[in-house]
Amino acid sequence: MARLTVVAEERDGAGGGEANLRADGVTHVFETAGGPLMAVTDVSFTVEEGTFVGLVGPSGCGKSSLLQMMAGLLNPTEGRIVMGEEEIREPRPAEIGVVFQESSLLPWKSARENVEFPLYLRGVERSVREKKALEMLDLVGLGEFAERRPHELSGGMKQRVAIARGFCQDPSVLLMDEPFAALDEQTRMTLGDELLQIWERHKKTVVFVTHSLTEAVYLCDKVLVMSARPGRILKEIDIALPRPRTYDLMATETFGRLRAEIWELIRGGDRP
Amino acid sequence: MSGAGRLSAQIGIVVGIFLAWEAAVQTGVANPRIVPPPSQVLPMALAMLGDPEVLHHLWITSAQVMLAFVLVAPLGVAIGLLLGESDYFGRAFKPFFYFVASVPKSVFLPVFILAFGIGFTQKVAFGMFQAIFVLVISAIAAADSVSADYLKMARAYGASRRQIYQDIYLPAMLPVIVEGLRLGMIFNITGVLFAEMYVSRAGLGHLVANWGMSFEMVKLFAGILLAAVLSIAVNESLRWYEKRIGAWRG
Ligand SMILES: Nc1ncnc2c1ncn2[C@@H]1O[C@H](COP(=O)(O)OP(=O)(O)OP(=O)(O)O)[C@@H](O)[C@H]1O
Ligand SMILES: [Mg+2]
Repeated sequence: MARLTVVAEERDGAGGGEANLRADGVTHVFETAGGPLMAVTDVSFTVEEGTFVGLVGPSGCGKSSLLQMMAGLLNPTEGRIVMGEEEIREPRPAEIGVVFQESSLLPWKSARENVEFPLYLRGVERSVREKKALEMLDLVGLGEFAERRPHELSGGMKQRVAIARGFCQDPSVLLMDEPFAALDEQTRMTLGDELLQIWERHKKTVVFVTHSLTEAVYLCDKVLVMSARPGRILKEIDIALPRPRTYDLMATETFGRLRAEIWELIRGGDRP
Repeated sequence: MSGAGRLSAQIGIVVGIFLAWEAAVQTGVANPRIVPPPSQVLPMALAMLGDPEVLHHLWITSAQVMLAFVLVAPLGVAIGLLLGESDYFGRAFKPFFYFVASVPKSVFLPVFILAFGIGFTQKVAFGMFQAIFVLVISAIAAADSVSADYLKMARAYGASRRQIYQDIYLPAMLPVIVEGLRLGMIFNITGVLFAEMYVSRAGLGHLVANWGMSFEMVKLFAGILLAAVLSIAVNESLRWYEKRIGAWRG
């Protein structure tokens, strides 16, 4: 697995709690035509470096808004997002990678060009970024499809490309907003497993928004459960399941209990 | 169907039409005094391409078309992008463009004659007028076609403002804009030829109108054929470019 070593080598310098990601009393109010709209209110949590944290909650509760604030794409109306010691107020492409839904691949670029796009933006030399992008595509099993355009790829393949792009600059934090939402159950389970395998090797800090409670329990170390809008954190649930995760865990009582607990919280939180 | 297969089929259709046309005249189905046979029209069209007088008129028409296009293309695209990107201007002026776009532009021709006379300038102005609406509307569509998701992604990965224009806006909009340019060109040619046919002293439209009025049917059909071939050539080359840069649209 020589290609993985290359990724690991470049990771130096990102140690010692530097990638702890913290929300401190974060509130966000959108100014809309119909007046102010409070998306999230007084949200606080910490994502420890190297952990895989899920964010679940009813539709419209502010998960994407929260993730965008962590990505520096949106600023809190009150409170702050802090990484290590520094407040995040604008994108930090070198340290924070973002994986959006499939529509974020640029359709006029090939898979490889999409993956190397973050490096291209930083002015990395062509041969270097091409090599890196090909490594990343190999990592997600798409080496042969490097020169295909998105419209020639399946939904699952596109999402793999988006993940490869997220990993391409080797950020210490990866923010993922329902990356598998548009996929069928089988594909999302497979991709979830692949993501876990990559993550086990690189131990990046991951924040993963999902609607699937099974996915949340299966992938995460900790799940943050949010209430309906304006979103608050109802509870942080530690997922004390052994790693590496395997499918038979899903049949265990613990898995079922954790999943049920999250569901109860979301259902209860939906009622005013 | 393969590219070569499609091309030979298309050539076959054109040849077939000419043969059917010839046959219709020879068998008396079509009156040769009104519809001359291609065996007379085609040689006449070729002879015209060697006739300095016809070439002079062709050149005037081409110059008007090209000047009108060079002036109106950046203007129309710029207005469209402004309306598409700025909420303020968009809300104020978009409805106006949609309304006027639906009015047949030909009815304005007398106004152009009063304002610009019957010469070169008037033809250029009328060609521009014909073309500008489709240019503006397709540039608005081009601006709308840039997905907010691309912009968000680019910002998250640290794109500068210049990179966002150059690497997101431009490639995303280009195929739609080129499509608009192609349609604008068709409207532009229509406008110039129509204005020439209505009143003028020069141009292909002027020749065609005169040949028609003096019942010189072979010349008339040859003139129509030249106008058709030239417009098709312009249209197809723009469409080829449009396809090439828009291959990603799938
Ligand atoms: N740019 C915006 N302008 C105005 N309101 C917005 C904007 N983005 C989101 N909202 C509103 O903020 C609230 C939270 O939206 P957000 O997209 O963060 O929810 P979400 O939890 O990600 O929902 P989903 O699970 O459906 O993706 C919603 O009510 C939404 O309508
Ligand atoms: Mg969302």
